This record gives sequence, structure tokens and C-alpha cells, in this order.
Amino acid sequence: MQLITILVVSFLGAGMVYLAGKISGKTRNILAILISLATVILISLTYNQKIYTSFYSLPFLNLSLTLRMDALSWFFAITVAGIGFLSILFSLEYMRHYERPDFYYFMILFVNAGMLGIVFSADLLSFYIFWEIMSWSTYLLISYKGGRAVAAGLKYIIMSVAGSLAMLFAIVSLYVSYGTLGISRLAFLLQTASPGYILFLLLMFVIGFGIKNAIWPLHTWLPDAHAEAVSPFSAVLSAVLVRMGLYGFLLIMYSIVGLGLLHKLSYGILNFNSVLCWIGAITIVIAIFIAILQDDTKRLVAWSSIGHGGYMLLGVGIATSLGIAGGMFHTLNYAICVALLFFVAGAIEHRTGGIRDLNELGGLIKKMPITFTAALAGVSGLIGIPLTNGFVSKWLIYKTLIMEKYPFLAFAALIGTWGTVLYGYKFLHNIFLGQLPEKYKEVKEVPLSMQLPMILLTLAIVVFGILPGIPLKVISGIEKSFGIEPLSTTIFGMPKEIGELNMITILAAVLAAGVVVYLVFSLSAKSRRVDQYDSYAAGSFVPKDKYQYSTGFYDQAYRIIGPYLRDVVDDFYYWLVGKSQSFFQLVRQIYTGNVNTYALYILLFLAFLIFVKLGWRLW
Amino acid sequence: MVIKTIWIVFLPLIALVIGIFFLGLSRKVTARIQRRYGPPIYQPIIDIIKLVNQESISHGRIFDIGVILSLAGSVVLVLFIPFGGIAPLATSGDLLVVIYLMLLAPLGIALSGGEASNPNTSIGISRKMMLALGYEVPFLFAILAVMTYYKTTSLLEVVKAQQSSSWGIIYLPLPAIAYFMILPAMLGIRPFDIVSAPQEIASGPAVEYGGKYLALTTIQHGFHMFIGIGLFVNLFLGGGNPLIFLVKMLVIFILSLFINAVFPRLRIDQAIKYCWKWPAILALAGLIIARIV
Repeated sequence: MQLITILVVSFLGAGMVYLAGKISGKTRNILAILISLATVILISLTYNQKIYTSFYSLPFLNLSLTLRMDALSWFFAITVAGIGFLSILFSLEYMRHYERPDFYYFMILFVNAGMLGIVFSADLLSFYIFWEIMSWSTYLLISYKGGRAVAAGLKYIIMSVAGSLAMLFAIVSLYVSYGTLGISRLAFLLQTASPGYILFLLLMFVIGFGIKNAIWPLHTWLPDAHAEAVSPFSAVLSAVLVRMGLYGFLLIMYSIVGLGLLHKLSYGILNFNSVLCWIGAITIVIAIFIAILQDDTKRLVAWSSIGHGGYMLLGVGIATSLGIAGGMFHTLNYAICVALLFFVAGAIEHRTGGIRDLNELGGLIKKMPITFTAALAGVSGLIGIPLTNGFVSKWLIYKTLIMEKYPFLAFAALIGTWGTVLYGYKFLHNIFLGQLPEKYKEVKEVPLSMQLPMILLTLAIVVFGILPGIPLKVISGIEKSFGIEPLSTTIFGMPKEIGELNMITILAAVLAAGVVVYLVFSLSAKSRRVDQYDSYAAGSFVPKDKYQYSTGFYDQAYRIIGPYLRDVVDDFYYWLVGKSQSFFQLVRQIYTGNVNTYALYILLFLAFLIFVKLGWRLW
Repeated sequence: MVIKTIWIVFLPLIALVIGIFFLGLSRKVTARIQRRYGPPIYQPIIDIIKLVNQESISHGRIFDIGVILSLAGSVVLVLFIPFGGIAPLATSGDLLVVIYLMLLAPLGIALSGGEASNPNTSIGISRKMMLALGYEVPFLFAILAVMTYYKTTSLLEVVKAQQSSSWGIIYLPLPAIAYFMILPAMLGIRPFDIVSAPQEIASGPAVEYGGKYLALTTIQHGFHMFIGIGLFVNLFLGGGNPLIFLVKMLVIFILSLFINAVFPRLRIDQAIKYCWKWPAILALAGLIIARIV
């Protein structure tokens, strides 16, 4: 009953918000906030519950649509609802100058409702229905701004439909073979299936979920879509919507197929999980190195989003207790960090008049200190600086990769972190550091309703970094439900038998060292605060607006690695599009649109039928 | 517990003294190789005392915090790296934690230098980032080879394993050579002083630093020397008691000085290509061997 309430509140709420918008903008905003907050509260109330309900029984096919709540769905549902709430809060000011706000709020709530439906589904048919609701409403929201956004949206929906079809193929085949689509029932029935059939199923689902999770080589829709969507929605898109793909991976691999069967899928040294891990590693390296070369705030974060999806896949694919925990924890951490970074990019756009070009900004730390702090926290979380949340999840992934003797995968993950340092610092430097251009002299900090989501996410980064035991407890509950040995954790880190990690000691050490150094610093001679133009220029005058180094920040490295980093896959898809276009042109020769031609076709067809009827004889 | 607390206080002080000594030594040795007389070995101490008493300028809060963070990060790191069997905090963090804590110092300098609103600092930092990307490839291969070979991520375990048999360099010669080849790049000494490059970009990240800022970054540099070489001794030269550990560090440091004092500075792209060529190939080969064995 609770699940139905949550879904009804979120779906009907979306519609009510649209109607409220017809009354007044203020009512709509308040209602949107209330509804998204209500879903957060309702979901948090269902913590640690196991629910199973059937809400509709199909009059045909002998199927019923069912919902369920377990540890896995709770974990994803609370993330979806939380990020959704914060992004709606952020939208209030951000969307003020956009047209059709009613439509926007309706769609974003609708997308959130669709995602909740996905994670609550207890059978693959409802899963598929909610999946399509989410995909199509996402398409409308990506294209919301018009112009280039429409092209980005089309690219997204074409790839998304291809994925959905692959998934539908697998679902239909499951129905035909077993006559049911309930997840727990299928998990039981599939244990006797042949490995070949399992592999077919997994491949179909991997295509569907892989496109959503943007794994290499199915990632090409993501940079355009993320960059062109409005920033609060980019946050939702990158933080949770894309990760529905990861949820799908977890569902199909561990809830349905199960670890025992996965281990059987091997051929020589190749096995399903290690192939998945290698795809994850390739995704990390390629995407993160491309991110270094980006000059657009949102495109940079978008490429990083692809790369970090690779970490999650790596963790989930390695299929150890540590790895799966690391992968899922990284999903949560990355959701927090990337939502924060898109909010930062949005705040910058909001205050500078839509500037996304990293080469045009600079020095904004003096005007927007809170946004800077948020950006710093987000970037630190992505890199995984100790004491931020990203550190623990990455540590889990590295640790398991090394202990399971996959040093090359561990290398890909670690070098990806250095790539993250590079693009993360570029993001911080080109926006906030360096000289403040004269045209931004009047820029102010964003209003409170935009600051609040950023502050909350910043706090989450630090809290989960120091107390990783809180989320990891939920995650070990999920592992238990998969039938995998659950990860044992302490509140501040790992017990001794797993590894040496204790965040509270690290925190104490950093704080103590910081205090000592600060004392030395403040006991030394005082420093004098100077203006940005009072800086060293070898004795010459400091020119305004020209004394900044941000264009081509990593140019020297680009010259070396750039030639290897063309997005070959995207080129290939465009080549494919070009080729199929000429094929469709040929098809078009048949469908002329002229009635006479069609009449001729009918006549010819009739003649053919008569010819057949005559027994294939002309005389 | 009491002994542990005492070491937590004293180990950074020891590292400070050794690091500063290394700084002075490097100037003296380089000078003698170049047939100059060179400053006395205690010159850095004089410099630091002078600098903390001088007036300086500040460009903002992050300008200050960054410098503090960078030194604090290095001090913390010292507590996680065993120094001849003394490792007060090594049970709270393994080699992976060490790799990550090594990020704090450059990040602090990068943030601080970024707020200095001077293109010279930005160029210096962008070079530092690219150089790091260069040397991290062989460095990570080498470290992964060690972790794979000893089947642990704990530095303490690695040192213990070497003490019960022989030094890591005997079993893992290729990663050790690769690490040694990139050591000057990690320490920022010649021919890899691209980041500071006084003649090109006016000392890079340090261009706006004066007084106490310069003093703190000099101390940080000393710590950094201690950490980079200390890690090498732990990973490949079997640790030892504090005195032996110190001797091993000194040998490694002077060897890398001898080799590198005669080379002129590389360009950043040359440095990246160098790191990605021989050191990376050697370390990778070492890793493959460690994986198979």
C-alpha cells in the first residue's frame, strides 16, 4: 500500500503541479517542493521494510503488475527522491527566466516518478513500462531549450529506443519461455536455464542498461544531452537517471541471474564479469582523458560522468563483496558530487548570463565563495581526496581489484583518478581562480534557494567521507539480499580483517597537523592583503582582463594525447547514420507519395496473385 | 599507546630535520658538481628563520588555506609511512591511503597558487599537473607491482615481508629502476624542475609567495623529499632500523642528485614523453612479471 501511495503521490503530484501552474507561479513552486519533499519522507519511512504488492492484474497474458520494496530499491529510491527534491529546490530561481515553467516542473516530477516506478517494480513488465515513461519524458526535458537541445534529445532517444528494444526482446523471450515476468519467480526458474540462454539474456539487458549507463561504446548520447539540458535537470540526469542503468545491471546480474550462474559463464580465460570489468576500465580511461580536453563546464562534467560510470561498473562487475559495495557506494557518492557540480555550473550560468565557456570565466571565488566551496567539495569528492565520500568507495574498488589480482584494471582506475585531478582542477581554476574579468565585477552570490541544495550536498560529501559506515550499512543489507557475503564495516571505516582504513584517525591527524601549521602560520609576521592587479609582472603594468592563463590549460599534454582521443565511436555512429541515410533514400524511391504509383503496386500485386493462382504458368 | 603518541609528535620533527638537511645538501652537492663552492648546508634553516619574520602579501583566504593544507597534508603523510619500523598511524591507512594523501600537498599549492591571480602560477600549476600525469603512470605500475607481488595493500606488511626474506629490489628490479628513474620528477629536482623554472615563469606557483608563505612551502618541499625517498626505501630497500633507513635514504638521494645535476632542464612535453617511455615500459614489464609469479 505504501508503495502505491508513493507512486500515486509522485505521478498525480506532477499533474497537479502542472494545473497549479495555470493558477499562479507561486502555488506551482510551493506544490512542486511539497510533493518532492513528501516523496523523500514517504520513502525514508519505508526503511528496512520488505513490501510486496500487486496493483493491477492484466486482463490478458495472465500477468499482474507488482511492486516491491527491498534493500536495493530503497537505496536507489532514496537517492532518486533526494536528488530530485534538491534539484527542484535549485530550479525555483534558476528556471525563473525560462519559458513554459509549468511544463518543466511537470516533466521533472514525472521523470522522478518514473524512476521511482522503475526501482519499485517487482516484475519486468512494470519495469519496462516505467522505463519507457522515464525515457520518453527525459527526451522531452532534454529538448526543452530548443535549438541544439533538440538534436541532443533526438540522439538520446534514438539510442535509448535501441536499448529498450533489446531489453523488450529479452523480456518477451523470458515470457515465452517461462510464462511469468515476476523477478523473484524468474530468479528461481532461471537457475536451470542453459548458459547460452543466460548469456543471450544478459547481452540484451547489457545493451539496454549499458546505453542508459553510458558505458563505452554506447556512451555517445550523453555529452550532448547533459550539456544541452537545463542545469537542474542535468543534475538529475547525471546523478540518478543515468544510474538507472546501473540499477538494471544489479537487478539482472545479482537479483535475477545470481552469482552462481554468472560464474558459469566463462569460455577459457574469458568470462562475463571480467569482460564487463574491462569495458568499465576502458570507459574510465577514455572518458576521463576526453574530459580533460573539454572547454565547456557542463560538457566537462558530462564526460566525467561517463568515466565514473566506469568505476561503478568495475566495482559491480568484479562481483566480490568489496567490489559490489564499492560500486554501489560510488553510485551514491557520484550522484552527490555530480549533482553538486551541475548545480555549480548552473549557478555560474545563472549569474554570468549563461556562460559555459571555461575560457571566459575566472576569479569568481571573490564574488561567489559559497559556490566555490561547493565546487571544491564536489571536485574533491570526485577525485576521492581522503575525508570526502568518493575516497572510501574508490578505496573499496581498488582494494578488491588488487587483492583479486587484477592490477591492470586497478591501474586504469587509479590513472583515471589522476585524470580526474586534472579536469577537476581545470574546472576550479578556470571558473573561480585567476583574475576576475572586469565584466563580472558586479556578479553576486546566488540566492539562498540555490545555495541551500549546494550546502546540503557539500555536507553530505563530508559526512559520508568521515562516517562511511552509515551508507555502507545499507549497502551490506543489499548484498545480503543478493546472497553475497555482506561487507562488514565499522562506522569510521573497515575492520582490521578487511583492510587498514580508519577515517576518524585520518581526520584527527589532518586536523591536528592543520592546527599546528596554522599556529606557525599565524605566529609568523603578518601578511598584507593586496588587490588582484597588484601582482608580479616583472616590473611591467598588469593589463586588465588579459593577465590570465586559462585557454589551452593542458595544451602541452593535449598535443601528446589529443590525437589518440578522438571519439572514434561517435564518428562510427555518424558514419553509420550517413550510410543508412543513403539506404533509406533508396527505400524512398518506392514510397513516392504519388497515388498512381501505389495503384500500380496494387495492380502488379494482383497480377502476381493471379499468376500464382494460375499455377505459375503464363499460358 | 604513550609511545605511539610520542612518535606522532616526534616523527614529523625528525622528518622536518631530515627534509631540511636534504634541501641544504642538494644545493651543496649540486654546487660542488658544478665547481662552485655553494652555500652552507644549514642555509635553508637561515632562510626559513629569515622568511617567517618578513612581511608578505596575501591574495585571499584560499591563498592562505592552500599553503597550510599543503604542509599539513605532508605532515600527515609522514605518519603513514613507516620510518625504520616506526609507523604510528600505518594501521589506519594502507598504501592506497598514502597514494591519495600524496594528493593533498600539490592540491593545496594548486588552490593557493590559483588564487594568486598571476598567469605564471597558473602555468606552473598546469605544468605540475601534466608532469604528475606523466610520472604517475610508471609510479602506479611500480606500486601495483609491489602490491601484487606481496599480495597486500599494507605498507607495513610489505616492509615485514622484505625483512623476513631479502629486499624488494631483488625480486622486483624493474619497478625499482622505474621508480628511481622518475624520482627526480616526483621530487621536482633537475632535470624536472619544470614546475618552478625560475628563468621561464618566475618560480611558477611560488611567484606570489613571500615571507611565511615561502617558508612554509620550503618546509613542505623538505617533507616531500623525505616522503618520496622514504617510500622508495620502504618499498624496495627493505626498511631497516631508523639509522639504517636514514643511510639508505641518503644513498638514494645522493645517487639521484649525481645523475641529475649534470642534465639541463627538460621541456614539459619531453618530460611527459620520457616518463611514458622507458620508466613506464620497465614498470609495466615488472608488473606483468609480478602478476605471473
